Amino acid sequence: MTIYYAIFGLALGIVIGNVCPYSMPPEYGRLLAVAVMAGLDAVLGGVRAAIEDKYSTAIFISGFFTNGIMGALLCYFGAMLGIDMYMVAVLIFGMRIFQNIAIIRREYMAK
Amino acid sequence: MIQRFRMDFKANIIIALVFMVLGFMLTVQFKTTERQRNIRIERVEDLSERIRTIEAEKTQLQKELADLRKNYGNLISDAEVERLNLLAGTSEVYGPGLEIVLDDSTSNKKMGENPNLYIVHDEDLLRILNELRAAGAEAISVNDQRIGAMSELRCAGPTVSINNVRSAPPYVIKAIGDPKTMASALRLRGGVVDTFAFWGINVKIHDTDKVVVPGQKITRAYEYAKQSPTPKEENKK
Repeated sequence: MTIYYAIFGLALGIVIGNVCPYSMPPEYGRLLAVAVMAGLDAVLGGVRAAIEDKYSTAIFISGFFTNGIMGALLCYFGAMLGIDMYMVAVLIFGMRIFQNIAIIRREYMAK
Repeated sequence: MIQRFRMDFKANIIIALVFMVLGFMLTVQFKTTERQRNIRIERVEDLSERIRTIEAEKTQLQKELADLRKNYGNLISDAEVERLNLLAGTSEVYGPGLEIVLDDSTSNKKMGENPNLYIVHDEDLLRILNELRAAGAEAISVNDQRIGAMSELRCAGPTVSINNVRSAPPYVIKAIGDPKTMASALRLRGGVVDTFAFWGINVKIHDTDKVVVPGQKITRAYEYAKQSPTPKEENKK
C-alpha cells in the first residue's frame, strides 16, 4: 500500500513543480542540488531500513528534512567562506546513495 | 517486500508528503538547469541573428554607396572631386615635404625628476602640428593617421589617440608642403625642436621630394551641422 502513496506523492510533487512559476536563481541551484541529493539518500535509506525491519517514520522524516536543510546550509556558508562544501556534500550523499542501493539489492537477492 | 509493513494511514500520508517534497525539488532543480542551458543557447542565437542582419545591412549599404558613387561622377567634374578630396583629406596624396620622427628621451634621468618630462606627449605633437600648419603644410599625418578637419589628437594613457586610433612612440609625422619653410619653422631658435632637445627627446627631420600621406577614412556622418543656404542658391529661389 505504502508504495502507492509514495508514487502518488511523487507525482503530485512533480506536477506542483511544473505548475509552479518560480525557479531557483542560478546562484542557489547548487544548494537545491545538495538538498535533492540528501532527499534521495534519505528515501533510499528509508527503503533499506524497511527491508531490514528497522523502519521508523520519525527517523525517516527527521532524516529527510534535517539532511536536506543542513546540507544546503553548509553549502551556503561554505560558499561564503570559500570552501567548496558542495563537492563534499555531493560526494558523501552520492556514496551513501550507492551504498543504500547495494544493500537493498543484496537484501532483495537474499530473500 | 514492502507489503509486509502494514503502516497506519498517518504514516502513509507522511510518506506521500515526503515524496511530494522530493518530487517538487527534483522538478524545480530540473527546470533551473534547463533554463540556464536555454539562456546560453538563446544568447548565442540572438547574437548570430544580429550578426546576420547587420551583415545584410552592410552589403546593402555598400551597394548603395557604389550606386551613389556612380551617379556622383555624373554630377560633378573630376577636378571638383579632386579639390573636395584634397580639402577633406579623404584621399592619399603625395608631394615634397618632411618626415619627422619623434621618440622618447634616451638620456639618463636625474634622480627625483618627473619621468613624464622625458616622454613625448600629445601636447608636443600638437605643437609640431601647429607649427607645420603655420608654415603652410597642406597634408599632415601622424603614424599614418591623416589629420583632417575633425581629427583629434589627445592623450590616451601611455598612448596617443588620433582619429580614435591609438598609437605609441615612435611617432612619424609626414607633412606635405615647402620642406625648407617647414623645417626652419620647426628649428626656430627657442622653437619646438629646441625645447625637445633640452629634455633629450629625439627628433629627426628629413626633407624628401616625395612624401606619401594616406587619406582619412571618414566614417562619420554630420548630425548637427547643416549647410546654410549660399547666396547663389538664394538667388535661384
